[in-house]
Amino acid sequence: MEGCLAVEKEVDRVFSKFGGINDHAQRVLTELTTQIEALKDELAKAPDNHVLTNVQVDLLKNVLTKSKDTVSRLATDHRDLHSTVSKVGKAIDRNFVSDFAATTRDHVFSSPKNIKLINKVICQHYFRQGMHEVAEAVANDGSISPEVVTREPFTELNHILDCLKNNDLEPALAWATVHHDELEEHNSSLEFMLHRLRFIEIIRKGSDHQNEAICYARNHFGKFVHRHQKDVQILMGMFLYIPNGINCSPYSSVLEREMWIEIYEMFCKDACSILGVSVNSPLTTCINSGCTAIPALLNIKQVMMQRQVTGIWNGKDELPIEIDLGNDSRYHSMFACPILRQQSTPNNPPMRLICGHVISRDALNKLCNGNKMKCPYCPIEQTPGDARLIFF
Amino acid sequence: MADVKSLEHPTLKVPYEILNKKFRTAQKTLDREVSHVQAAATELEKTLSDGEVKAKDITMLLGGMVEKLQVLKRKAEESISEELQASSVCKRRIEHLKEHATTGTGLASQGALNQWRRKRLDRMVVEYFLRNGYYNAAITLAEKSDIKEYTNIDIFLASREVEKSLANRETSKCLIWCHDNKSKLRKLKSNMEFKLRIQEFVELIRNDRRMDAIKHSRKHFPSFKDEHLNTIQQAMALLAFPVTTVIERYRTLFDETRWDTLIEEFRAENYRLFQLASQSVFTVALQAGLSALKTPQCYNEEADKSACCPVCQDCLNQLAAPLPFAHCSQSRLYCHITGLPLNENNQPLMLPNGHIYGEQALEQMARENNGCVICPKTKEVFPFKKVEKVFVM
Repeated sequence: MEGCLAVEKEVDRVFSKFGGINDHAQRVLTELTTQIEALKDELAKAPDNHVLTNVQVDLLKNVLTKSKDTVSRLATDHRDLHSTVSKVGKAIDRNFVSDFAATTRDHVFSSPKNIKLINKVICQHYFRQGMHEVAEAVANDGSISPEVVTREPFTELNHILDCLKNNDLEPALAWATVHHDELEEHNSSLEFMLHRLRFIEIIRKGSDHQNEAICYARNHFGKFVHRHQKDVQILMGMFLYIPNGINCSPYSSVLEREMWIEIYEMFCKDACSILGVSVNSPLTTCINSGCTAIPALLNIKQVMMQRQVTGIWNGKDELPIEIDLGNDSRYHSMFACPILRQQSTPNNPPMRLICGHVISRDALNKLCNGNKMKCPYCPIEQTPGDARLIFF
Repeated sequence: MADVKSLEHPTLKVPYEILNKKFRTAQKTLDREVSHVQAAATELEKTLSDGEVKAKDITMLLGGMVEKLQVLKRKAEESISEELQASSVCKRRIEHLKEHATTGTGLASQGALNQWRRKRLDRMVVEYFLRNGYYNAAITLAEKSDIKEYTNIDIFLASREVEKSLANRETSKCLIWCHDNKSKLRKLKSNMEFKLRIQEFVELIRNDRRMDAIKHSRKHFPSFKDEHLNTIQQAMALLAFPVTTVIERYRTLFDETRWDTLIEEFRAENYRLFQLASQSVFTVALQAGLSALKTPQCYNEEADKSACCPVCQDCLNQLAAPLPFAHCSQSRLYCHITGLPLNENNQPLMLPNGHIYGEQALEQMARENNGCVICPKTKEVFPFKKVEKVFVM
């Protein structure tokens, strides 16, 4: 944020300075022109073979020197603004990282085969988002065959979401009514929120539509009252203030436009979880994870450069640090051996000791003393052969 | 906010470079017009100092002066408004980046953030398309997603024209480009112009216009003698050989694929000119993202793949194959049946066949199956009391 603000400050300065010089230039140039034109008109009135008097020559010379000075100062003034412009560039360089590609391996994706794969992924992504034109354009430009993967749920969902973006609740409400039972089971308040929004839209129309609003509330809020009693009370309270306008009442916050973004997100999340599909397309998840990972990777890279241990960077087939992607982006169980602090692999699988503690096989072998070993976590002694291979 | 800092450098730097270029053009225009005005003024002064000056002559000269001043005024206005326009592009992009840092933690601001991220993905994809020359796709996407002003379509379209002309074996457009960006290219120590001149020379020889080739070389090569003497000598030697020569050193110069190399080089130079990195943000982010998500399980034939895991999807799986795995120093376990995390509230339990599932899932299964549990992976049936506890540190 500070970065953006710093750059913005410099850009604003460019605006004010260039605006200033523009006004100034227009003003002084207009002045000069009118002055010279006045002189010209005066001279034009003189008889044809009139010879200039000394006073007139001096006057003209003065004006000429003045105009020369003014225009040259104009050019110099403009040149001086260069520092203002270049400060923008410096602010950008200072606050943003220019070599963001430092952490990646060059040209892994540049082989024709991989470019094709990427195009395919992008194509699928846009089919999923319902942007068919884009997907077809990719297929066309990238010379891949467009596999139309319009799986039914996405076509319908995309339609509903598009309508929600345009503040049209109808399709979403219809969907929620059809899936009423599943929504209840998932403890989702989506249906209520949709009705609530619909009700608020009626209220917004003013006092002429009070009856409509009351009818709507009677028809629809009844079945939600066990879970949303408080919300219903708030909504009914709004009737008090309709004649004077809700905007200047304690309920003004209910009318905020942000609700549309909120309902969009809510619908995305709940509908996807009911249909058993991930909210984001695989590409979206990857890119979002990448955007989280890159700052951390850049940091660690810098530290490694300072300590001159960059050799590790390319040698290992594992990232040097753990990236926290949050709970939503984890799809597999990961077992890391608590002794070796290493992720388990097919060659080094997790083993359960007879006491129930789990360590990796390599750790187990290292802890062996002859035919005996002691669990590193409890006092139990055992033979390594008793440990069992387990699967997460 | 860290991701904006790390990834959005080109978003702002490109419009800045355009602003900078506009500034230099404006300065040049102003200097030129100012010198015109001054020349007119000097001429007037000279006439005035001659003595015995006629009013008629002076009025005419004054008229010329007024004209010059008006031209200056117009040009100044035009140039400065172009500069202001370039800065407003910059400003709009900053505004867009600032939207990323919406305050608050509610669902609404989460939604706004998600929408911003969707736009970011579209921006990245547009840039990726442009770099790969998928101009139609790029334009379609930018319009659909309404992000045209945040992308650098214009400069890529301009460069497409040059690339096209190079592909048609023409150098003129590229030379104009070299001329337009002369000072900047000199600062970058670019030898694009030299390469073009050499190529022109080679083409003249190919068409058997050897005398023209010599004239061409006399005109253009001397200015490059300090840095490229060797190459010049090599090129000059072509005069002595037929186009079909088999000598490796000279055959390569006649190679038609040199034009493709020229196109590649032009692209790279153009990126450097606008301070674009050699890789697109999209591929960089995709690479990092795949690595951060990649686990050995995604490549284990036996373990069943997760329907939601991106790296388990076919295409991405192949793409991620050469990339490093995510680092994991702390176990993170999930119940295969419910997908819930395994922790003190949902303790991991082991079936006699060595498979681990969550306490909650197994207890429920036992209740529904008269105390028996079925391993979903191997379909073996066990009594619930044979299940053992597992402790993962």
